[in-house]
Amino acid sequence: MESGSRDDFVIAIRSAFLKKENQQRFSLLGLIFFSIIFLILGSFNFKVIDYIKIGIKEIAYRSSLIVSVPENLIKNSLFKVDEHFNHYEDYQKIKYELNLLKSKDLSKTISNLENIKLKKLIDDYFITDNEIFAKVLIDKQSPFLRSVVLNKGSRNNIKLGMAVIDGIHLVGKIVEVNYLTSRVLLLSDINAKIPVSLEPGDIQAIMSGTGKDNGILQYTKEPASGKNNEDILVFTSGAGGLFKSGIPIGKIKKEKNLISKEKIVDFDIDFSQLKYVKILSFSKIDSSIEPVKEEIKAINKQIVEMRIAKETIKILLEEKNIFKDTRIKIEDENNLLKKKIINLQNRISIADKTIEKHDKKIKDIKFAELNRLYEKRCKKTFYNNLYKVGTKKYEDCILNKGSKKLDN
Amino acid sequence: MANYNIKQYLLSYTPVILLFISVLNEFDFNYLGVKYFSFNFSYILIFYYSVKKSKGLGYGLIFVAGLFNDVVLGMPLGISSLIFLLICGFAAYLRNITLRPSLTKDWIFFLITISVVNSFLYSILTIIFLLKVDYFYYVTNTMFTFFIYFVFSQLFSLYENIITGKINA
Repeated sequence: MESGSRDDFVIAIRSAFLKKENQQRFSLLGLIFFSIIFLILGSFNFKVIDYIKIGIKEIAYRSSLIVSVPENLIKNSLFKVDEHFNHYEDYQKIKYELNLLKSKDLSKTISNLENIKLKKLIDDYFITDNEIFAKVLIDKQSPFLRSVVLNKGSRNNIKLGMAVIDGIHLVGKIVEVNYLTSRVLLLSDINAKIPVSLEPGDIQAIMSGTGKDNGILQYTKEPASGKNNEDILVFTSGAGGLFKSGIPIGKIKKEKNLISKEKIVDFDIDFSQLKYVKILSFSKIDSSIEPVKEEIKAINKQIVEMRIAKETIKILLEEKNIFKDTRIKIEDENNLLKKKIINLQNRISIADKTIEKHDKKIKDIKFAELNRLYEKRCKKTFYNNLYKVGTKKYEDCILNKGSKKLDN
Repeated sequence: MANYNIKQYLLSYTPVILLFISVLNEFDFNYLGVKYFSFNFSYILIFYYSVKKSKGLGYGLIFVAGLFNDVVLGMPLGISSLIFLLICGFAAYLRNITLRPSLTKDWIFFLITISVVNSFLYSILTIIFLLKVDYFYYVTNTMFTFFIYFVFSQLFSLYENIITGKINA
């Protein structure tokens, strides 16, 4: 019995894998072997398999592109529809953001104008009126004089006291002007005295050179304390009117600040490496001049206008929000009223039905009363020819209080 | 007569077209992006048409579709063909031993078939080709393919009934 079922199994397997069926062009077992051969050769990186793979890839990728066309079309259409539905929402959002940004932009412009106005008022509004580039000709490392010689002189409008800058950092000032050359006294020179301000704290001081590669603070109004964990930055203070305020000079390192009582300033740039520098002169805007006053007036007017515009935008935005809230409230009320109307309509229909029932009842009672009184006048008997009980004519006869009235 | 031919043509070539679309399309039921949910449509299609209508899908076409599948998925060339043909073999065996066809029997046998072929596939990929394969993915894929076979078999049979019904009419 057992061997019989095993035989059946073997026969079925053989039939499934070996027998080539009527409609099949290839044998299943043959193709399976073919697949295994593909796999084995592929695992050994056989060249023929690689070529076949490349060929199939070419066909597959192109076919995949064609087959995916309808799907991509549907996907794109759905995406477009979705985008279209979101369009209005996006528009509202962008509009709101634009208003906000406009408001912010106005605030910024107002701040800038206020800044200019205040600077003009405190007489500290410098403009760079002359800018000359020069090459460092001689840089003598003398222990007695820390200076460099530049290739520009009075021929190029170089004047005494002009500031010399490397990048954005202060280098020194012009102390000697010749026709074709000029000399710059570096900040590190012992004779250089620059009014500086220390940050953080906005402490005023005078910085002097040490004759070496750094500077030292003198005449500090307050002790340059600073927080122990940060460096103190040194800028020009603008006092004296030679330089404009805020030109970076160097910093007092926190380690040196803690150890020594003397505040040593390390310059931002190495003066021995100077090659090209910029010579500048600053001029102050005189606030007593009439045009400047008019300018301030114009700025004031601009500020007022912008503030008004800003306020208007703010009010409009608030109004918009209020309208939005009101709209939502009205919509809610509308919905509530609609519901009430529906309820009332339901109640009216119920009342109508009750009235109808009531009328019918009254009619029935009236009929019963009349029936009791005029039954004999309408009811058909074997000796008269009146109406059968329950018919329409009988009902009419009763309601008309007897057949005679009906006939009339 | 021409109408009859078109319908006959539709009936014969629909499985082949479906198989090639499922292999070549960008949209793949095997990578739906839904966590834990995926199923192998090709397995269902091949098994169904091999059990019901051996002439519906030719072995040669299944072999080629397997090669395409390997290229598209970046698997070793020939492995999908082997798996597809093994499913055909299992289906042919079922067809030979079945006297009274029933969907439940087919369904149970399909579970055995895909479990065996997926185990075989997992073994080949990990042992011979030293590829890292997510075992959990294969198990869930097998389970969902098994459950969804019922739905698709009903759909395929409905499609055939519609076409053949019209032919008879």
